[in-house]
Parts: sequence; structure tokens; C-alpha cells
Amino acid sequence: MSRIIVVTSGKGGVGKTTCTANLGMALAQRGRKVAVIDADFGLRNLDLLLGLENRIVYTAVEVLAGECRLDQALVKDKRQPNLALLPAAQNRTKEAVTPEQMKKLVAALAQSYEYVLIDSPAGIEMGFQNAIAPAREAIIVTTPEISAVRDADRVVGLLEANDVRRMHLVVNRLRPSMVEQDMMMSVKDVQEILAIPLLGVVPDDEKVIVSTNRGEPLVLSQTSSLAGIALNNIVRRLEGEKVPLLDLNASNDDFFAWFKRLFKARN
Amino acid sequence: MNSEIPVPTVLSDSSQPSPDPANNLANNPANGLANDPANNPANNPANGSAQSPLAAALSAAEANRPAEANLPAEVGSPAEATPSPVDATPQPQVRFKGEGGRLLLMLPPDTDAESMGLTWYEIWQQLKQRLNAGDRFWQPNTPVHLIGRDRLLDSRQLQDIADVLSENGLQLKRIYTSRRQTAVAAATAGLSVEQHPPATHLTPAEAGQALAEPLYLQMTLRSGIEIRHPGSVIVLGDANPGSSIIADGDIIVWGSLRGVAQAGASGNTRCMIMALRLEPTQIRISDFVARAPEVPPGEYLPEVAYVSPEGIRITRASEFSREWMMAGTFE
Repeated sequence: MSRIIVVTSGKGGVGKTTCTANLGMALAQRGRKVAVIDADFGLRNLDLLLGLENRIVYTAVEVLAGECRLDQALVKDKRQPNLALLPAAQNRTKEAVTPEQMKKLVAALAQSYEYVLIDSPAGIEMGFQNAIAPAREAIIVTTPEISAVRDADRVVGLLEANDVRRMHLVVNRLRPSMVEQDMMMSVKDVQEILAIPLLGVVPDDEKVIVSTNRGEPLVLSQTSSLAGIALNNIVRRLEGEKVPLLDLNASNDDFFAWFKRLFKARN
Repeated sequence: MNSEIPVPTVLSDSSQPSPDPANNLANNPANGLANDPANNPANNPANGSAQSPLAAALSAAEANRPAEANLPAEVGSPAEATPSPVDATPQPQVRFKGEGGRLLLMLPPDTDAESMGLTWYEIWQQLKQRLNAGDRFWQPNTPVHLIGRDRLLDSRQLQDIADVLSENGLQLKRIYTSRRQTAVAAATAGLSVEQHPPATHLTPAEAGQALAEPLYLQMTLRSGIEIRHPGSVIVLGDANPGSSIIADGDIIVWGSLRGVAQAGASGNTRCMIMALRLEPTQIRISDFVARAPEVPPGEYLPEVAYVSPEGIRITRASEFSREWMMAGTFE
């Protein structure tokens, strides 16, 4: 049975779309057949991050209106044929589709894809309701900020009330050095509030911005980056592997910092 | 603001709730959060008058509480004022009530005022939350009687309710309603129906009555969830920031209380708030208000918040019963 996962956060700008693009790509690289759906009708971005913008002909709205077949609207990625994107309509609003229609679309995709990732819009209104309606699991993306965590908490509650029980947390854009100086919430602080299992921690990385602007998911790039490794690890955990959390301090480390941490741990 | 006064001070603050933050701030020098009282939903217009007591913030003295458990931290509140019961007209919620081996599922009335009436979606959310949280409250196959009041329910909605109840091991048996359409829909769905004229059907008048049985919830109260109950509320789990519990009785949180908690919402100052880890956004008892200190205490122990003549006090749970006995009553 295929896995239907919604990527959501409540707050905007925390990295839902970036996560969806990278997780989708990384799963496809592992040989899984993956469909990613942009549920952000009217403000679509997923196509940009995947670099597929110029290949969109039809969108989900046309499929629902019966103007084209589902496989005509799906955009196959040339770099990674296992990955397909179902784009959202840009000229419509969230009210253009209903939760029932989303369920139908996803059910159709689930017949031929092992993973269906749904990129949810920010907020908890109609677009969010549409995105979570077909989902069986959820990945909650948050940054270590109280506003993002508060919104994520609300979203977890709404997902529970909508019978999406299997939820995993991704803490995005963490700055280990700031956590060390007590200037940023730690992963533990975030988990204490949200109380859902942790899928992974993605460090703040400038390379993410570069990859977004280029339309090349980070996990595709040849040179390894800490954020790319973290995203790959998340995918491995999603597939049931036991992968230890990255030591995010490793890259910008010196002997003194190592010694200090050792000392802290002892006490 | 100048809220970091390190001296334990009792704030004698008798300013009235004012919608003007600047004015409030001026009256309330140790209170960093200027508009506390103005935001209190319990301070409805009837209570916003000059004789209404104003509770103030937990002062910086609060930071001492683990060290000085015998001298519980003080919070300001005018000693001369007697809190008047809040004439609360709480927004009704979906409720379960055990009665003679059956479970009554009570839906809030369908008021036509747009601000008050809950939409079907909100009712549905509340129903699911309650079902998720209360699975040790009933035995499998308990019959459920739906008290629909004047709410219009179509056959699809009735079927949804019946389905979600049966998923949780409950059986929808009977429907009480005052609406003809609902009665017809229920009869079509094969449920037994009792139709009452609107005036006489079961509407518990919630003010001035014996408290409802305690509401037992096993869940994490997440941001955005508001629990209102005309009795005591017991939460097995955390109450996260952004959640609120408003109870006419006591509030007991077996976990961390980080949201807003209001005990004795209909005016009983003898109600208490207890938590294993009390770090609330705000606590209210009757119409006294206290908020968390700016500087969190270093260590958290189970604590009890109650109303003393000086306002809301917080004391260690381990010391509480002794103090309660010695002081007798705090009225």
C-alpha cells in the first residue's frame, strides 16, 4: 500500500515546500516511485523548487474538471524519472477544490505511486483542509521559533482531530551555535511542546537558498552539504532505517568547543 | 518595563480594568503585561465596573517560590475587594455526560447570532477531540443519547455522528431534538426520536447550579483548543501554550500547564488550579488574574494556585494541604 504523507506546518516560510521537494527527490533516488502534489492553489511554488515550472501544461484543476487525464497533468522529472509532480493551478484560489476532490486525486495517484507527498499551504483554512483530507501520515515542519512551534502545535491538534495519527517532526533551520549559546530553542525544547516523534533536524544552510533559486533540490547536487545529508537521513528514517542524528556541530568545530561540550556532558 | 524588581512585593493595585493599555500600565507599575485584565473574557462588561476587583500579575517575587515554599509567593490584588461572581455566559461546547448507564451527547444550541453559533465543522472537531480524549470514560457498547436541542442535523451529519461513535465503541440509540427536520432525518436513519417543543427540552441552566461531573481528558491540549466545562476539569497530559481551560470547578493538570487556565469561572473563589508543572501563560480563579513571572523559576515542583485574601497565591503541593488546614478558609 502506498504511503500518503502531507507536509505541513501551520506557519508559512518554515520550509514545507523545500522539504517536500527534497524528500520527494531523495525517495525517487532510492528507487521509489514518488508523486508530489502541490496543494497550494493560487500560490504554487513546488514546481519552481523542482525546476519544472516551464513544463507544466495542465494542472490539478483541469484534471478535476475532466479537461484532461491525470497522467497528462503529471510532470515527470527528466533528471529522476521516478518523480512526478501534480501541479496546482496558479490562476485559481484554494476554494477551487474540495477535500473530496483531493481524496479522489490522491486515490488515483496512489494506484501507481509508492509515495504521494502533499505539499500543504500555510494556514489552517480551506487549502490546509484540502491538503490533509487524503493524508494518512503527516510530516510537521517547524523552525526553532516559538511562533512556528505554536502554529505547529495547533496543526498537530487539527491533524489528530482529522484522524491523521501518524505524525513525524522535522526541525528545520537549526543553528547549533545559537542553541549552544542558549539563544535559540533546542530540538529538545521543540519536542517537549509538540510531543511527536522526531524524524530529523535540518541545519540552517545557505546552500538551500542557492538550490531553491536554481530549481535543483539539494539532494541532487554532487557536492555534499550538511543540510543535504540531513534530508537524506530523514528519508532513510522515513523508510524505517535506524539512522543516528547528525552531529550538527561537526562542521564548524574546533578543539575548544569539543572540550567544552565534553565538559558540559560530564556535568 | 520595570518588572524586574528583585524585592518580593505585594502589589496593592486597585486600578480597574481599562481598555487603554497606557493607562493600565501607569496604574500598574510592576505589571509588565499591561492589558491583562482587559483581555480577560470572564471580565465581561458587567464586571468591568469600578468596584470590580482587579487581580495583578505574579510579581518578580514569584521567582522565589521553590526556595520559599512556606511563604508562598504573593501576587497583588486589592485586599479590600470581594470578588463578585462572574456572570459568565460561556460559549457552549459539545459535552458528554454519563447518566444512568447511558451517555448523553449534548450538542450546543444553534443560536442564530453569528458570533455564537458553532458551525457543523467546529462541532465535529470538538466531538472528535472529546472522543479522542475520553476513552476511559465509558465501557464498550455504551448506548448514547444525542441531545440535539434546536440544532438542525441532516441525515448525513447524523450518520457521521453515528459512525464516529461506533468507531469509538459507542452506539447512537436515541435522539432528542426540538427540530422537526432533525427528527425526520433521524427517523429515516432508523434511530428512535423524541421531539420536544423548544421551551421544554433538556437545557441545563448552567449558572447557580450544582457543578457538572468532572471532565476527564487524556490528551495533550494543543494550541487553539479551548475546553469549557461547567464543573472541574482533569487533564492527563500537557496543556500547551495557546490552549485554554475554563472550568466552573477546579483544574487539575497531571502534566505541564503552559496555557491559560481559569478555575471557578462562574465566580467561585474557592476553586484551585493544580499542576505537576505550573508554568502558565495566565491563571485566573474567579475573576482574579495572575500571570507567569518574567523570569522563570529554576525548578518546577507540583504546585497549587488558590485565592487568598491578597490575591492568587501559589504554593508547593507538598506544603499545600497543611497550609490549607491551618488557615481554615480563605474567604
